[in-house]
Amino acid sequence: MPELILELVLMPLVAFVAGLGMLLMMRKIAAKIQRRVGPPFLQPLYDVVKFFGKQTQISHGLIHDVGIIVAVGGYIAAETLIPVPGMDGIAGRTDVIVLIYFLMVPSLGMALAAGQCANPNASIGISRALTAMLAYDIPFVIVIFGMSWIYGTTNLVQMVEYQQVHGWGLFQAPLLAFAGLFALQGMLGKQPFEIYVAPAEIATGPMVEMGGKYLGSLVVMQSFSLYTAGILYTTLFLGGGVTWIDFLLKAYLVVAIPMAIAFQFPRYRAEQMLGVLWKWPVLAGLLGLALVMLT
Amino acid sequence: MTLLDGLWAASALTALVAAAFGRHPAAGSWLTVLYGLQFLVVAMMGGLSEGADPVPASVSFVVLGYGLAWQFSALSWFFAVITAGAALAAAWFVSGAWGRAYAARGGDLRLLQLALALNPLAMYVLLASTDFLSLFVGWELVSWSSFLLMLSGGGVGVRWALRYLVYAIGGAMAVMAAMAQAHALTGSFGFGALAAAVPELSAASLWMLVILLAAGFGVKMGLLPFHLWQAGAYAETPGPGAAFLGAISSRMGLYAMLLTLFGGLGLGTLQALHIPFTPLEAHELLAWIAAFTMVLPTFTALRQNDARWLLAWHGIGQGGYMLLGVAMGDALASAGGMMHVFNHATYQAALFMAVTAVVYRTGTADLNRLGGLVTRMPLTFLVLLIGIIGLAGLPPMNGFVSKWLIYRALIDEGQPLLFVAAVIGTLGTIVSVYKLLHNIFLGRLRVEHESVREVPWSMLTPMLALAAVVFVTGLAPGPVLDWVAAVQRELGFAVLVPTLGGVDRPDGGLDMLWVVGIMLAGFGVGALIFLAGGRARTVHQLDNYAGGHFLSAEVRYHYSDNFYAGLMHRIGSWYRGSFQWLQDALVSATDFLAQGAAGVYRAVQPVTWLLGVTVLALWWAW
Repeated sequence: MPELILELVLMPLVAFVAGLGMLLMMRKIAAKIQRRVGPPFLQPLYDVVKFFGKQTQISHGLIHDVGIIVAVGGYIAAETLIPVPGMDGIAGRTDVIVLIYFLMVPSLGMALAAGQCANPNASIGISRALTAMLAYDIPFVIVIFGMSWIYGTTNLVQMVEYQQVHGWGLFQAPLLAFAGLFALQGMLGKQPFEIYVAPAEIATGPMVEMGGKYLGSLVVMQSFSLYTAGILYTTLFLGGGVTWIDFLLKAYLVVAIPMAIAFQFPRYRAEQMLGVLWKWPVLAGLLGLALVMLT
Repeated sequence: MTLLDGLWAASALTALVAAAFGRHPAAGSWLTVLYGLQFLVVAMMGGLSEGADPVPASVSFVVLGYGLAWQFSALSWFFAVITAGAALAAAWFVSGAWGRAYAARGGDLRLLQLALALNPLAMYVLLASTDFLSLFVGWELVSWSSFLLMLSGGGVGVRWALRYLVYAIGGAMAVMAAMAQAHALTGSFGFGALAAAVPELSAASLWMLVILLAAGFGVKMGLLPFHLWQAGAYAETPGPGAAFLGAISSRMGLYAMLLTLFGGLGLGTLQALHIPFTPLEAHELLAWIAAFTMVLPTFTALRQNDARWLLAWHGIGQGGYMLLGVAMGDALASAGGMMHVFNHATYQAALFMAVTAVVYRTGTADLNRLGGLVTRMPLTFLVLLIGIIGLAGLPPMNGFVSKWLIYRALIDEGQPLLFVAAVIGTLGTIVSVYKLLHNIFLGRLRVEHESVREVPWSMLTPMLALAAVVFVTGLAPGPVLDWVAAVQRELGFAVLVPTLGGVDRPDGGLDMLWVVGIMLAGFGVGALIFLAGGRARTVHQLDNYAGGHFLSAEVRYHYSDNFYAGLMHRIGSWYRGSFQWLQDALVSATDFLAQGAAGVYRAVQPVTWLLGVTVLALWWAW
């Protein structure tokens, strides 16, 4: 029990730091592609400190605040469900289905917060964000089903153990790994799937009324979401991690792929996003699933 | 006198009091006490869920040599406790301000109270069925009493009630045909005789029975393609009546299926019954019907602009999860399917009541005429929020537990397509219920709702109590799963042995105590992060970004209509109304045949008659 409580404290701390690093990496990659220098090393941290330290903090009501807490807290809880080197006590007590549903909680929190803001831009953004969820979660659950079938368990700790004996999931089900990466692009809300933010059209959508610690919390949430997505993919396909070094290396590599793709693309409209995500990753996923289940 | 007699007596007394004193100002409170008494009697039979002997009724008849007897078993008790709880909550809701306002608006409160009281009575009779004969008696009582409840509000509801009646009669005919066939095959109306005769029956007879029973009871459940009556019939029933019907009424179809198909014919029979020329068996056919019932009505719900209709459509969709779980038949799935009956009843009743509370204060359930009410009705918002989290099947509410069991079983059984269908249903539900919440409670508060207040405690108490049940049985699903295990044992399913927090399995179990604990810990850390920032100032809703324009109370600054415009660009053309078309085609075909027949027997055409008589006479002479 004490070590589980320790995990509950330590894992979010690690995730926060690693996630901020991923934010930095994202901005560096964007800068490299756009031939800029990019921000200094500590810029993500400066941003968070600045947002939280602002004098003017505007709330639109209790649900605005609660929604933000749910959004950040949802990712923090989700991230503790994924085993990391040396800390898999909490992960061992739940499973990947619980994780899928935990990953939907932040969307709901964000939707509550944005909804209370009484700004139609925010509501439109949320309607698009939920549409995006409907788009990427279908290939994503096909992937989850396939990997659970291969590993014969829904417990993430056992999935890692299986891969360390039998080899990475990536090599056992490459099509599912491809579908998973595709779904990841949508899940992270990166271009071309960032219609819900659309700054020039709906004034950053859900974020339109967010400033100060609200926006700061969303930055924190984004760092947690990047980290969660990275380590989830690592756990499902890249054999998890034996040491923190190889684990984080894999996670950073995973997150770098969608980012490298993202900044080369314009934005898809919602219906185009649905069309793409319901076609290619779903086809690849179903084909991969058929290969896995029939052989 | 047994406890079952006591339950019937209490229920009948409730109906009598409702009929005699329904209009008396204090009748609501008396009736609530009487419903509480019913609940107490059901609770006293709680031993049934721990393996106690069935509780028989003292009443029995012999009609034309066939005995009619009733008794309560673990299966009956499970459904009865939900019925009693839903009836108590609905009656409590009616008892105070809502009932007075309903009568003041010209509604017939006595009729509503009577219809509300007759429904549980009929259900207690149905739930005590011991053979096809008593089942049919109870079935008809339930159909007619829910018809009365649908009628009680008058107006548009009458049309929908009549449509229900047509479907119900069709369903009852199928059930009667199944009953007749079972009798012809076994010489008795007993389920035991049927189960014993199964090995000798031909596949054709078995298929006939399966189809007739599934169709007959499927009508009540709103299974595709017999679902078109349900949304309108429930949505247009007066609020608390809709809460009761939505919570439990259509689940009587599942009860009857469990009793006849799974208990009578047996799950093994369904698993052995192949569909010719396909790799599917009968139970998989049921599972696929359930899958379509999960997905299509859910996406119909997404398009509704009336909160009551949206919920009623979801009610149809959630029935699919129950049947899917039961049809898959292993310990996890069947437990999930049956537990979903309980879970659905709790959040659906709470949701209908919350929407009724909004209608009570604002006079409309139109999702395009509301908004921003969270600041005016915070507790109703809380109930609706907990309800939609349950309906969407997200942790930490009870809907998640039953759905988790079904998902886990589908992975075990290697059913990827059914799994994906189940998840699509859930995702559709999340998307749809957020619209419900947003359009009523979030966004801009309308000028005309500035003075709206929270509803009185007589309405809030049952709502909050149900919401608490949704949360507590999500946190600790063990007790409900214990009840379900007793039902599984009685019907011959594999039995799930639950823990307090869910299921213990070496390859990925579920412990909701942990899940909820981690979630709350996450929220706690999130709150610490959030609170690290400076103190926020709450601004008026008009103090808002509007691209340089000034906002005033007259400016409509709220997004509600066609909420998922992008999604509808993609899937809008997939809504073909095929089932409506099918129903219309059937109606016009029947109409055509009826007119043709009327042309023969109504028209006075001596020549035709003469010809007929001549032909008959010649045939007779020959």
